Amino acid sequence: MKTEDLIRALAADTQDTRPMMSRLLMGLVPAMLVSLAALWVVLGFRADLAEALRMPDSVARFVLTGALGLLGARLALVLARPEGRDAARLWPLLAVVAAAVALLGWAYVTTPAEGLQMAVVGKTRTTCLVTIPLLSVLPVSAIMWALRQGATTVPALAGFVAGLGGSGLSAAIYALHCTEDTPLFYVPWYGLAILGVTLVSTVVGARLLRW
Amino acid sequence: MERQSDDWEQLLTAANAGDSRAYTRFLHAVSPVLRGVIRAKSGGLGEASCEDVMQEVLLAIHLKRHTWKAGSPVRPWLYAITRYKVIDAFRARGRRIDLPIEDFVDSLAAEPGPDPTEAADMAKMIGMLEGRSAEIVRKIGMEGASFAETGKALDMTEGAVRVALHRALKNLAALRERHVK
Repeated sequence: MKTEDLIRALAADTQDTRPMMSRLLMGLVPAMLVSLAALWVVLGFRADLAEALRMPDSVARFVLTGALGLLGARLALVLARPEGRDAARLWPLLAVVAAAVALLGWAYVTTPAEGLQMAVVGKTRTTCLVTIPLLSVLPVSAIMWALRQGATTVPALAGFVAGLGGSGLSAAIYALHCTEDTPLFYVPWYGLAILGVTLVSTVVGARLLRW
Repeated sequence: MERQSDDWEQLLTAANAGDSRAYTRFLHAVSPVLRGVIRAKSGGLGEASCEDVMQEVLLAIHLKRHTWKAGSPVRPWLYAITRYKVIDAFRARGRRIDLPIEDFVDSLAAEPGPDPTEAADMAKMIGMLEGRSAEIVRKIGMEGASFAETGKALDMTEGAVRVALHRALKNLAALRERHVK
């Protein structure tokens, strides 16, 4: 086939030029709504949600997880562009992690010694470690699906931000149910759940996002 | 140089808005540059093989054209796709190459003019498509038939031909991917 002929065929095809942003939102928004509905139906929202939204420690949980989620999704859009690896800034992610660690340190020094262990162990560790990854399945898949239509030149890193974005958003959803308000609990356990999802997503991305 | 690059942005913007003619001009404008880079890197791979790589790159650019962010410069985007695909294509042919972005800037565009060679791979891949898809790509590409003519010949609506062409091009890229692995 002559290149001229190929160009003629390519130019005739005017389908499917929607921008990446709409491809991402088209999957991610429904995915998050399903996760939200599933949490509400199966576990329910916490009864004192309105009061919890006035407690700084509890609010920080939404802010931290939500920030990771939005930064991850935003980075996925950048990395979906072939030249995006040069434009992607990862330091805001580190800033969120640093803020979480600082909050953990603050809670550690301000909590009485005899209460420390109980606070860290909590009562809902297992629920947390199971639910956050389950809630993450659809949002992470949605970001991954958008990235597959993109043209990333760094598949593993793109998988990483997809995992971080999807699980961060899902952790924020889970926080609507969870009543463990101390950073001593949520920084390590939410963190572990997010880390687990992100690792899997990185491995999957490295394979799935080549084109 | 500035002026030319400016045109590329306008052409691709129009192309992504559905302007076939602007898109044809865009593909014609970038082809010599891409061909120049590929030949410079080929190290005696032969003209026909270079043209195979060239066509793979064009197909990739086509299927990923929505990843260009309107308003941003076209060149970094174009070079990044090309670099990724050329390295991939040479690796599939058993050669490892380095292709720093500077090479794009330094390389001279290949002589303009008619297609130098007939490339073989794409025709082979088209042959592997399901019969009707292959027919659509051949009619529109090689015979220059319109959607209406193609639809009439194959007893399909124009819209169905449009959808089928798009699917066929995606399948071509997927077939190629499977063959490499």
